[in-house]
Amino acid sequence: MSKTLLVARREYVENLRTKTFWIGILLFPVIIGAFVLVSRLLARSKDQRAYAVLDYSQGAWLSDEISKRSLNRDVGQFLQARGKPSDRPKTPAEFRSALEKAKDQLGNPKVGAIFDVFLAMPDDDVQQLIDAGADGKPPMGVMLKHLPKLSGAMQQFDAKEMGKVFADLSMGKYRRVELASLGLDPAADHEATEAKLRDKVNSGDLFAYFVISEDQAVEEAGTGLPKLAGRYVSTNVTDADLRRWYAGLAAEVVRERRVGALKLSKEQARALQDDFSFRPRTVTSTGAEEDVSAEKLAGDWAPMVFVYLLWIAVFSISQMLLTNTVEEKSNRIIEVLLSSVSPHQLMTGKILGIAATGLTMIGSWVVFALLGVQLIDLEVRWSSVVSNPLYLASFVGYFLAGYMIYAAVLVAIGSVCNSLKEAQNLMQPVILVLMVPVIAMVFVVQDPNGTVSRILTYIPIYTPFLMMNRAGGPPPMWEYVATTILILLTITVAIWSAGRIFRVGVLMTGKPPKLREILGWLIRPPRDSTTGSNARS
Amino acid sequence: MLDSVTKRFGKHTAVDRLSLRIPTGSIYGFLGPNGAGKTTTIRMVMSIFYPDEGRITVLGRPNSESIKDRLGFLPEEKGLYKKMRAAEIVAYFGTLKGLDRATAKRRAYDLLERFGLGDWVDKRCEVLSKGMGQKVQLLGSIIHDPELVILDEPFSGLDPVNMELMRDTILDIKRQGRTVIFSTHVMQQAQDICDYIVLINKGQKVLDGRVADIRATGDFGIQIDYDGDSEVLRSLPGVRRLNDSGKHAEIFLERGVDPQDILRALVGKLRIQRFDIREPSLHEIFVRTVGGKTDE
Repeated sequence: MSKTLLVARREYVENLRTKTFWIGILLFPVIIGAFVLVSRLLARSKDQRAYAVLDYSQGAWLSDEISKRSLNRDVGQFLQARGKPSDRPKTPAEFRSALEKAKDQLGNPKVGAIFDVFLAMPDDDVQQLIDAGADGKPPMGVMLKHLPKLSGAMQQFDAKEMGKVFADLSMGKYRRVELASLGLDPAADHEATEAKLRDKVNSGDLFAYFVISEDQAVEEAGTGLPKLAGRYVSTNVTDADLRRWYAGLAAEVVRERRVGALKLSKEQARALQDDFSFRPRTVTSTGAEEDVSAEKLAGDWAPMVFVYLLWIAVFSISQMLLTNTVEEKSNRIIEVLLSSVSPHQLMTGKILGIAATGLTMIGSWVVFALLGVQLIDLEVRWSSVVSNPLYLASFVGYFLAGYMIYAAVLVAIGSVCNSLKEAQNLMQPVILVLMVPVIAMVFVVQDPNGTVSRILTYIPIYTPFLMMNRAGGPPPMWEYVATTILILLTITVAIWSAGRIFRVGVLMTGKPPKLREILGWLIRPPRDSTTGSNARS
Repeated sequence: MLDSVTKRFGKHTAVDRLSLRIPTGSIYGFLGPNGAGKTTTIRMVMSIFYPDEGRITVLGRPNSESIKDRLGFLPEEKGLYKKMRAAEIVAYFGTLKGLDRATAKRRAYDLLERFGLGDWVDKRCEVLSKGMGQKVQLLGSIIHDPELVILDEPFSGLDPVNMELMRDTILDIKRQGRTVIFSTHVMQQAQDICDYIVLINKGQKVLDGRVADIRATGDFGIQIDYDGDSEVLRSLPGVRRLNDSGKHAEIFLERGVDPQDILRALVGKLRIQRFDIREPSLHEIFVRTVGGKTDE
C-alpha cells in the first residue's frame, strides 16, 4: 500500500470512530424523521377549535346550510382519502368491498359505524356518490337523505376523539357548540347572549363565535335579498384558519342563494362562479409545450434542500480536515510523520481519507433517504424527487467537488495554525464567504437560469453549490461542461496552492504568518520554514 | 556524512557550515546548549528540512525520500494521536516505514509487551502517562529495525527506570551493528554511552571525535564524592577550577600542586567517600569550550 493510501486509511478509520462522524450520519435521519413526526403530531394535536354561531338570519338558514355543507365536504374527503384515483371503485359492488376493506383496516368500531351508513345505502345513491366522487364533492341530495344517520354515527365520538380520528377533516379541526348546550337561548336578548358568549371566549371554553345578522329592511343591491352581515369574535385573531374556513363556506352558500334569486339556470350560475386562470405550462428541451407535472413543481424547490445538505456536508467534512491537521501540528506528530512520508503524501492522504469519510456519510444519507421514501408514505411527487438520479448524482459529484476546493483552503489554514483557536480566527472570513450560496439559495431556485444565478455559478468557490441549486432548471448541457472544467481547474489550482502552503506551514511554530506572507509562498516558496516565525533550531 | 551544511531561517543562521562524519555502528552524540542547531541538523538529516548550502549523504546516498524507510526518528517534542490505541499507533508508524500490516501489528504487540506496556496495548494514547507515551513513540520509531536511529533529546522527562530502559535500547541497537544519533544537553548521558560526539554551539562545530580522544587532553582532574560543607572546597589553595554539584566535585589544580596535599587538606573537614584522579568529564570540556557564552 502506498504511503498516501496508508495516511488516507488511518484518517478514514480514525474518523469513523469520532463522535462527529456518527452524529453527522445519524443526525440526518433523526432530523428528517423528527421533522416528519413533529409536523404530523402538531397537525394532529392542534386543539379542536370550539366555536358558536349566533345566527339571526331568517330561521338561522345560513348556519344550517353551512353545517350541512361542511359535513358533506368532510364525507367527500373522507371517502376520497381511501385509495388513489386510479383504483377508486367504479361499481356499487366495488365501492362496498372497498369500504369493507377500509373498515377492517381501521379497526375502530366507531368509525366503522360511519362506514355502515354508506354500506347500507341503496345502489342508486352509491352510484351517484361514485359518479360525483371524481371531483371530491358528494351530491348534496344523497348526503341530505342520509344526514340524520350520518350525524348519529358521528355523535358517538367525543370532541377529543373526533380531533384525532378526523384530524384532516374540518370536523376534526373545528367543533360547533350548540347555543342550547351552553344554556343560551338565541331568542333572548341579543346583547345579554353575546355578553355570555364573550365570557365563554375569555374563559377559553370557546375559541371564537360568529354573529350573523340579516337586515330584512335593507335590500342587497341587484338581488333584492335581505342584506347579510357577519362578525367574528375571538381573543386570538392571528389564527385565521377557523374564520377563513367558515367564511369560505358562507360565501359559497350566499353566492348560490343570490344566483337562485336572480333565477339563473344551473349552467348560468356555474358560469358566473367559474374562475379564470392561466394554466402553467412549460417548454421542453425539444421545443414542445407540456403541462407542469407535480413532480416538476416539487422538483423546482428540491434543489434547495440538496444545496442545504450539500453545504452542511462540505462544511462539516472539511472542518474535520482542519481539526485533524491542527491536532497533528499541535501534538507534534507531524514531525514523526514527515520523517516517514513527504508533506505532499501526507496532505494528499489526509484529503483522500477525509473525502472517503465524507462519502460514507452522504452515502448513508442517500440510503436513509431512499429507505425513508419506502417506509414513510410520502406524497408521490416527493419520493420521485428524492430518488431522482440527476439530483442524487449531482449531489454526490458536487459534494466531492465542493469538498476538494474547501479541503484545500482548510488544510492550508490548518497547516499554519498551532491551535484550534487560531484556526477558528482564520476560519471566520472563510465562513462568511461560504454563506453566500446559502443566502442566495432561495433566489437562485426561483430563477435558476437568470443572470445573477449564472454569474454566481462562474465564481469557482460557489460553482458546486450553484450548479446543485440550479439543477431544477436544469442548466443547458454546455454549462455543465463549462462548470465541470472550471471546477477541475479550480481544484487543481487550490490543491497545488495548498500543497505549497502546507509544505511550509506545517513545521512552523510561533505566531501564524500574515496573509501576505502566505500569498508570498505561492509565488516564491521558501524551501522550508520561513522568515518572521521563530522557527526552532 | 554532512558536508559544509548551512541552514538559514531568514537572517538567522541556524546551522553554519557544519561538516560531520558519523561512523556506522556507533552511538553518536549531538551536544550543545539550547538553540545551538541540534534539532535543525537532525531535521535536515531526516530530510524534513533541506539545507540551503552543502550536501548531506545518509546511508551512502544523497539525501532523499528513498531512504526514509531505513531511518527511525524520535523527535524532541513527543506527541501521539490521542484517540488511537497504543498498539495501533506503533503499527501505523511501522506501516508508514514500509512494513506490511500483519508484521507491523505483530511487532507492535511484541515490543509493547517487551517494554512493560502489555496492559496498555489496547488503551487509547490519551490515557497513557507522559513516560508511557514517550515509550510508545520510541517503539514507533524503531519498529522497522532502522539502520540509523535518530533520537532528539530521548532522555528528557524520563524517570530513572525508563532512562535505563532507553539506554539499554540504544546500546542494543548498537550491538546489532546499527547506528544511533542522539542529541542531548546533559553531558553525563553522552559521556556514559556515546562512542563519538560533536559539540555544536551557535550553529558551528566546536569539536568532534571519539569521546575517549576528546577527554584524553592530558589535563587530569580530581573527582571526589563527599558529604559536608562545600565552602571547604572553595577555600582550597592551588585550585584552578572547581565544578561542584553538592555531593560530587571535580577539581582542577594549578600546575605543580600535588593532589595529595588537597586530600590532606580535606581530611577531617569533609567526609570523603571517593577520591580519584582522571581525565576531565565532558561537562568540564563543554564548559571550557563553550564558556560563559551560552544562554543555558
